[in-house]
Amino acid sequence: MSLHTPTELDLQRTVLIADDESSIRLLVHATIESDDYTVVEASDGAQAWTLAQQLKPSLVLLDVQMPGQSGLEVLRSIKADPNLKATRVILLTSKAQERDIEVGLIAGADFYLTKPFSPLDLLTRVEEALEL
Amino acid sequence: MVVLVAVAALAGVAVRTLGQQDARQVATADARFAASAAATEIAGDLLLLQQVTAKLAANPQVPAIIGLPAGPCTLTFAGASPFSAGHLDVIKSDGSVKCSSRAIAPGAIYGAASWLQAAINSPVTAAPFLDPATGEISAVVAAPVAGGAGVVAAIVELAPVGPSLAATLGGARQLEFLVTTNHDTTVLARSLQPSRWVGQPLAGTAFAGSAGTGERSDLDGRTRLYDRSAVGSTPWFVYAGADEAAALAAGDLSSNRELAIILGGAGIMLVVIFVVYRRIVDPIRQLSLVIRGSTVGGAVDTVGMMGASEVTGLAEDFAKLMATVKSELVERLNSEQVAVVSERNYRTLFEGHPQPMWLYDVDTLAFLEVNDSTCERYGYTREEFMAMTICDLQQPQDIPKFLELQAMPMPISDRTGPWRHLLKDGSTTQVLITSHPVIFGDHHARFVLAEDLTESQRLELELVESHARAEHSAELSRAKDEMIAVVSHELRTPLASIVGFAELLATRDVTAAQRNDYLAVMLQEGRRLTALVNDFLDLRRLEGGHLSMRFAPADIKALITRAVELFSVPGGTPIELRLQDDLPLVRVDGDSVFRVIANLLSNARKYSPLGGSIIVGAAVLNGMVEIYVQDEGLGIPAQALTRLFGKFYRVEAADRGAISGTGLGLAICKNIVESHGGKVGARSEGLGKGSRFFFTVPIVREEAQTGDVLIVEDDSGFAHLVEAELEARGLSSIWAADAETAGHLVTRARGVVLDLLLPGLSGEAFLHRLRATRGAGIPVVVVTLKDLAPAESLALQKAGVTAVLRKGPGTASTAADLLSRSLAAELVAI
Repeated sequence: MSLHTPTELDLQRTVLIADDESSIRLLVHATIESDDYTVVEASDGAQAWTLAQQLKPSLVLLDVQMPGQSGLEVLRSIKADPNLKATRVILLTSKAQERDIEVGLIAGADFYLTKPFSPLDLLTRVEEALEL
Repeated sequence: MVVLVAVAALAGVAVRTLGQQDARQVATADARFAASAAATEIAGDLLLLQQVTAKLAANPQVPAIIGLPAGPCTLTFAGASPFSAGHLDVIKSDGSVKCSSRAIAPGAIYGAASWLQAAINSPVTAAPFLDPATGEISAVVAAPVAGGAGVVAAIVELAPVGPSLAATLGGARQLEFLVTTNHDTTVLARSLQPSRWVGQPLAGTAFAGSAGTGERSDLDGRTRLYDRSAVGSTPWFVYAGADEAAALAAGDLSSNRELAIILGGAGIMLVVIFVVYRRIVDPIRQLSLVIRGSTVGGAVDTVGMMGASEVTGLAEDFAKLMATVKSELVERLNSEQVAVVSERNYRTLFEGHPQPMWLYDVDTLAFLEVNDSTCERYGYTREEFMAMTICDLQQPQDIPKFLELQAMPMPISDRTGPWRHLLKDGSTTQVLITSHPVIFGDHHARFVLAEDLTESQRLELELVESHARAEHSAELSRAKDEMIAVVSHELRTPLASIVGFAELLATRDVTAAQRNDYLAVMLQEGRRLTALVNDFLDLRRLEGGHLSMRFAPADIKALITRAVELFSVPGGTPIELRLQDDLPLVRVDGDSVFRVIANLLSNARKYSPLGGSIIVGAAVLNGMVEIYVQDEGLGIPAQALTRLFGKFYRVEAADRGAISGTGLGLAICKNIVESHGGKVGARSEGLGKGSRFFFTVPIVREEAQTGDVLIVEDDSGFAHLVEAELEARGLSSIWAADAETAGHLVTRARGVVLDLLLPGLSGEAFLHRLRATRGAGIPVVVVTLKDLAPAESLALQKAGVTAVLRKGPGTASTAADLLSRSLAAELVAI
């Protein structure tokens, strides 16, 4: 996890990656790394929710299956928080979790990607979400 | 009453007879006593007179008196009974009286007396003689005066002696005394008519010439019983006669008194008997009549009567008792009748019920009672049933399950089935069994109702069964879907990394450093994917029973030691071993158990990110060997302990997010342990408190530790091949997967097939030890893949191996041949 100081972050948009698998975080981070925004990582649901409240990220890339608070719970919390109205959410799921995708979309996720996903697709979705 | 009178009469007669006897005895005794007393009295008086005369004769004045002419002198005769009358004289030898207690008549009086001359020389007692002084028949007691001058004589009259004796000794008893001289010739004294008899000869009387004793009629008309007694120093006799009639009269008086007492007593008795009869016996007899007349069913008569208060009280008590008994009897009779009727009703219900019913003893399973319907349905008679147990109704294949069910605690009311019951004719029927426990006599029994399955029940049952099947298959399918979802997720994560980084590498210009990073992740995730697939397939095989296990005796200590060596990190905290001494060999698939130990050790290291000691222990516990791995790591939350061994389950806690794993390791361990018949488990005090994983494996049975040939070979496939070849040659074998295990088993084998490349201790080392402990006697065939250096071959030759074979096709067969020959030769040698 690379975490910049909040003073710096104020000036830039933030993207939060929440996944319990370090290899996936590394992949996503490598894929979307850009000068246009700051990338922050969380390794479980609780950490993701804490960082989301602190940083008010523009985008959260949220793994559905995480230990502790699941991705869907974090999604609901974000959507219920008036301070985070502007935060967009992309779900990262396994294909088998179709039910979760449906629940996630209803709960307000903007998009979803199933693992394994194409990094280029991911980048496209991130840029779309950030309206770059 | 008559008897009483008769008894009284008899008693009277007896008393009278006894009285007569007593009277004679009394009279005889009286006579004897009186005679003796009279003799004593006479003798005493005579002695007194002799003493008096002797004393007076010795008086020095007496000669002077004799020498003087009759002068003044005074003598006093103090008479005593019976000699009450008489006088005391001093008599000169010529018979003249010089001094006398009575008035002295003139002239020589006693000159003619026969006793005088004798008395001048010595004392004399003589009688009878006629005293010239008094004219009375008398007796004399005389004592000589010194110098022969004369005598002192006491002269006593005899006539008063008899009456005196009769008066002093006879009293009112009419006793008669007779005193005679020597030889009963002359009467000296007699109490009857003394004037007639004194001095008279006895000749002609009944006393003459006889002992004079016995019964005799006397002059006075009385019959007396006589006895006699000698009188002291004299030749005299005293006869005493007691009046028999008087004694008889006295006896009569007393016997009449006794008779009166007896009759009076008898009369009192009669009165008492009458009173007793009236007051006690009669009431009791009436009471007894009433008691005898009282019947169980009949009314109780009141015993109304008079008599002693105790008896009437008794009668009242009895009446009350009878009333109570009667009411209780009536009650009991009623309830017994009710019970009999009720039992009959129930029996009718049981016997006549159209469905088979029976009772059986839950301990022996023997039938206790069956109803008609059971006999009809099953084809056995009641007697046959009584000799059977409920097992006899079961099909042979159902008996184990049935017995197992019986052994379990049964619910109060139980409905089971359908059961297929065997009928006597060999056919079967399907029944539903409803049962409940009862106490039957002194048996713990169960009452059973057997219902035949009706067509609709059968259909219903089939429907239920097919539902159950459908549900089961739906459940299986759900589980399968779930598993697919889980597996798919688990596979997608590493795949996502691999595919993603590959795409990045393929589409982007990356720095060398980035490329290396990406490739490292890809490699790591690729390996993870491989491990996952392998674990998953192993688990599938284990669960499906497709992973073949080769159970063989194994030295668990060696397995643990090897696993620990694998996980020992140089410079790291050493893993502590706590192995019980003399651990028995275990029956395991060595590779699988090694995997379990390795997995637990791996987890212990992985979940102890801060280090901490790890302990591996083994000990015998409840007939198994328990192996445990204990760490001081992250620990396990309580709610996770039970799910730990499930597939893909991983403890979700922030502290272990970075720890990778397939989530299948413990599931595999559980499967391996359970296929050994062991148990696996985990304990932890909670998060941060470390954990302890343990599992058990069975101990090798003694008989599984022997065989002709010991195969020491880590490759189970090759070992199996050798085993089969040996068996074909009639040789049994034991297999040891390592040299350590072989070390335990070698004493039980006659030959060895030895691989050189073994885990842990090498084949060469084993051979060396074998030769050291058992000498060269045991044939050893070495089989190996190893390219032997000449020195190694030489060493083996020196160790006396039978052959060294290089593993390849046919090696197993050759090894078996060689050993077979060696062992046969050994047999011949014996």
